[in-house]
Amino acid sequence: MSAGSVPSGYEVNDPGYPTPQENYLTNSKGILSWAFTLDHKRIGMMYLIGVTSAFLLGGLLALGIRLHLFAPDGILFNNALFQWLAPDKAPNDIYNQVFTLHGAIMVFLFIIPSVPAALGNFLVPVMLGAKDVAFPRLNLSSFYLWVGGALFFVMALLASGLDTGWTFYTPYSTTTDSSVILATTGAFVLGFSSIFTGLNFIVTINTMRPPGMTWFRMPLFLWATYSTSIIQVLATPVLGITLLLLIAERTLHIGIFDPEYNGDPVTFQHFFWFYSHPAVYIMILPAFGIISELISVHSHKRIFGYRFIAYSSIAIALLSFIVWGHHMFTSGMSPITTIIFSALTFTVSVPSAIKVFNWVATMFKGSISLTTPMVYAIAFIFLFTIGGLTGLHLGTLATDMHLHDTYFVVAHFHYVMVGGTVVAFLGGVFHWWPKMVGKMYSEAGGLLSAALVFIGFNLTFLPQFILGSRGMPRRYATYDPEFAPLHQMSTYGALILGVGLFVALFVLLMSLYNGKKAPANPWGGATLEWNCTSPPPFYNFERPPVVGDPYEFGDIRWDTELDRYVKVEPQRERVPLETPAETPAHASE
Amino acid sequence: MMSLLGDYTSSKLSVFPKSASSFSGESDWVFHFISIVCVIFFIPIAVALFGFAWKYRKAKGQPADSQVDHNTTLELVWSIGPSFLLVVMFYFGARGFLDMRSIPEGAYNVGVDAYKWGWGMNYGNGVIHPELHVVAGEPTKLTMTSKDVIHSLYIPSFRVKKDIVPGRFNYIWFKAMEPSEKVMTDEECKQLADKDKEENLSWDYDARQCTPDGYNFYDLYCAEYCGTNHSEMQTVVVVHETQAELDAWIKKYSSRGDEPPAAYGAKLYERRGCKSCHSIDGSRLVGPSYKGSYGTMRDIVGGDPVKVDENYIRESILNPKAKVAVEQGVAYQPVMPSYKGQLSEDDIYSLIEFIKSLGDASAAEEASESPAEEAAEMAAEEASESPAEEAAEMAAEEDAEAANADTEPVSVE
Repeated sequence: MSAGSVPSGYEVNDPGYPTPQENYLTNSKGILSWAFTLDHKRIGMMYLIGVTSAFLLGGLLALGIRLHLFAPDGILFNNALFQWLAPDKAPNDIYNQVFTLHGAIMVFLFIIPSVPAALGNFLVPVMLGAKDVAFPRLNLSSFYLWVGGALFFVMALLASGLDTGWTFYTPYSTTTDSSVILATTGAFVLGFSSIFTGLNFIVTINTMRPPGMTWFRMPLFLWATYSTSIIQVLATPVLGITLLLLIAERTLHIGIFDPEYNGDPVTFQHFFWFYSHPAVYIMILPAFGIISELISVHSHKRIFGYRFIAYSSIAIALLSFIVWGHHMFTSGMSPITTIIFSALTFTVSVPSAIKVFNWVATMFKGSISLTTPMVYAIAFIFLFTIGGLTGLHLGTLATDMHLHDTYFVVAHFHYVMVGGTVVAFLGGVFHWWPKMVGKMYSEAGGLLSAALVFIGFNLTFLPQFILGSRGMPRRYATYDPEFAPLHQMSTYGALILGVGLFVALFVLLMSLYNGKKAPANPWGGATLEWNCTSPPPFYNFERPPVVGDPYEFGDIRWDTELDRYVKVEPQRERVPLETPAETPAHASE
Repeated sequence: MMSLLGDYTSSKLSVFPKSASSFSGESDWVFHFISIVCVIFFIPIAVALFGFAWKYRKAKGQPADSQVDHNTTLELVWSIGPSFLLVVMFYFGARGFLDMRSIPEGAYNVGVDAYKWGWGMNYGNGVIHPELHVVAGEPTKLTMTSKDVIHSLYIPSFRVKKDIVPGRFNYIWFKAMEPSEKVMTDEECKQLADKDKEENLSWDYDARQCTPDGYNFYDLYCAEYCGTNHSEMQTVVVVHETQAELDAWIKKYSSRGDEPPAAYGAKLYERRGCKSCHSIDGSRLVGPSYKGSYGTMRDIVGGDPVKVDENYIRESILNPKAKVAVEQGVAYQPVMPSYKGQLSEDDIYSLIEFIKSLGDASAAEEASESPAEEAAEMAAEEASESPAEEAAEMAAEEDAEAANADTEPVSVE
C-alpha cells in the first residue's frame, strides 16, 4: 500500500477517482449543445464568460473615468479623438455617460450575477452532491434573460447613451433625453434573471440536500447563497415595480415621481433603495461564502464559529431590508426617521464584524498554504475590513452630513464591492478553476496578479477617502485644482489594478493551453465538489458521494508518492457482514 | 488639546478642509473619534491576519496544530463587546445631527434657488446673486428650492449638506465662525474685471482665490448629480464680519441705479446663470449663443423659423419651452427653467439690450458697409436715443418697481 505521508494507524480509503471518458465539457459537442444545455455547469460557465465580458467593459469605462480625471479640467473626453468620435457631445456629457454606464454595467451585469449566477450555478448542485438544480429550464431561461438585459444596455449605449447615474434618480431621469427607457427595461429584465436564479437555489437547497446533510452540515458557501437568494426573491420585485413606474412616469406622466405633475421625487429614492440596499448584500453575501470556504480549506482547519457565520448571513439578509434610509440622510427626511435609520444601520455592522473575527480565528494554528486563492482571501479580509469600518463614518449622522455624496462614499463602497466582492470572486475563480476546467493555473502568475490587484486597488481608493473628507463631491467631470495630486495618485493606482486584472485573466486562459492536469482534490478540501473528478462528469458524480462534515480535514492527507490529496480513515477492525450470528452487533462494542 | 487639533485641521495635509462653522468642530471630533476606534480595531485584525498567514505557513500535508472550531464565550464577547462603541458613535452622530436640524429662531434668512447649473441666492428686495454672503457668528437659515431636478447644497468648510428638491422647500442652517478676509482692494478687483471683459473671460475664482469684491471665500458645491455641468455648479460663500458690512454688500447689488441697460444686462448675464448655458463668443453650449443672434431668423422645434426680436427673447426667458431653438439641424435640449417671477421687466429689458449689444443683424442689414460690431454699437446708441424706446424703458422701470414691491422680502430685518 502506498503510504506516503499517511501516518501509521490510518489507511488510504481513496478510490482514486478514475477519470471517466467524458466530462461535462466534452460529453456533447457543437454550439447548440451549449445554447440549449440544461446542465448547471455549462450554464455556470456561460455566465462566467458573460459576467467577465461585462466586467471587462465596465472596467474599461472605469479606466476612462480615471484617465479623464487625471487633470482638473479633464484630459480624455475633451481631447481631439473624442471630439471627432462624438462631435455633438460636450466632454462633460461623455464623462457623465461613462460613469453612469460604468456603474450600471458593474452593478446589474457584473457584480449581482457574478458569484451567485456564475460560481453559484456551477457549485451549488455539486456541493449538494446533486445532479443539477431543481429547475434546469428555469436556470437556462435565467441566463437568456441576462443576455436580453445586457442587449438592452448595449442598445441604450448605442442609441443615445444613459446619463442618469446607475440610480436613475427622478426627476432627472424623467426629464433627460438619454435612453432611460431602454436601460430601465434592461434592468427590469435582469431583475427577473436574478429572481429566477434565487428561486432556483432556494428550492434546490431546501429539497435536494442529500441524506445526512442537515442545515448545519452544509458548506457555508451554501448558507451564503441561500441568504442571497432570499434577498433576490423578496427585494428584486420592488425594483421591477419601481422601474415600471419610472417608465410610466416618463411616458404617461402619471404624477408619482415628477413634481411637475405633483409627484414626489424622494418617493423614488425610497422605492429604489428598498431594493438597492438589500442588493448591496446580494453583492457581498456570496463573497462571504467564498471566503469562508477559501480560508478554511487553505488553512486546512475547521472553520471557526460555523453557527455564528451561518446565522450572521441570515441576520444580514433580514437586516438589509430595514436600513435603506441611510442612502437618504441628506434628502430631507424627518429627523426622527433619519435617526431610526442611523440606529438600524449600526446593527448591520455587527454580523459583518463577526465574520471577520471568525475568519481570522480560523487561520489561528492552521496549516496555511499561501496559494493564490488564499492570498486573495487574505486581501479580501484586509480590504473588506477597511470598507466595513469606514461605513461607520457614514452611518453616523453628524459626519455623514459632511461625507455624503463625496469621494469618501465612492471609496467606501469600492472597498466593499471591489476590495470585497471582486477580490473574493477572483479568489473563488482561482480556487474552483481546476474543478471547472480540469487544469491547474500557474501559481506564480496567480500570486503576481493578487499582488498587483492589492497594490493597485489601495493606491486607487485610499486617496479617495481623503478626497472625500476634504470635500470633493462625487460624479464631477471637472474639479478644483487643489484635489489634483490625490486624483493623479488614484489614476496611477487604477492603471496598476487594470494590469493586475489582465494578468489574472491571462494566467487563467494560459492554463487552458499549458496547464497541468488538475487532480480531483487539488487543495485538500472536504466539501463534496472535491469528490468528483476535475472537470466533473455530466452527472457530477459517478456514484453518490458520502456526506461528511464539510470542514473535517483530519481524514484528508497529502500523499507524496501519488502527489495528491487522498482520503484516509483510521484503521479499525472490520466485522464481516456475513457473520452477525456469531458475534451480536452490540456485543462487539 | 483643542488647539492642537485646530492646528492640525488647518494644515494643508489635513484630511479636512478649513473648519469654519459652529458644526465643524463637533463633526470633526466625531470623525476622529470613529477613526481612532476603527484604527484600534483594524490594527489587531491586520496584525493577526498577516501574522497568522506568516506564522502558520506549513508545507503541504502538514496537519494543522489545532482543529478547535468554536469558543462560544469568545464569540459572544466579540459579537456584543463592540456594540457598546457603536451606541456611542450613534449617540454623538445623532446629537450633532439634531443640532443641524434645529433651526434657531430669528436666523438670518437667505432664499436659495438652485437650477441647472447655477445658484440664485435671494437676499430680498429683488437682490439675487450667485454668491452666498452671510454674517460671522450669526445663525443663517437657507430656504432652498429647485427649479428643475434635485440638487444638493454642500459647503465642505461648514460640514453641512442638504438636498434641494423641486416642488418643496428644504432648509439648512449654520453659524459661520471665520469671517472672510478682504484680500484684494476694490481697485485691483476692478482692474482684473476690466481685463476679463476685454478678453471675454469670466472671473476665475479658483485661480484668484478671491471674489470679484475682493474677499477670500469658502467653496459651495452641488453634491447631487444634476446633468451636464453638475461639476461646474459651484459658487462661493463669503462671511462678513458685521451685518452692516453684509447690508452694504447687498445694497451694492440692489438696483441698477443709473447704469445703462446693456451694461446691467451684462451683469445679470454673469450673475443669474445665463452664462452657464449661453456663450457670448458664438460657441455652442447647452443653449444657443447670444453673439450676433439678435435680428436673425431662427429655426425652432415644430414650427416655422422665427425672428429673434424683443418678443421672442422675452418669451424664451419666461417660457423657455415654447419655442426651442434648432441650430444646424440639431435641436437644443429644452432644459432651461422659466424665469417667470425671477426677473423683473427691467431685468428682461436690460438682458435684451445686452443681447442686442452683442451684434444686431437687423441693424447690420441697414448699414451693410460698416463692420458689424460698429453697426451694432450704433444701433444700440440709436435705440437708447429714440423717444419710443425711452418711454418703454421708463415704463419698464415702473414695472420693475412694482415687481420689486411684490417680491416678498426674504430677509429678516
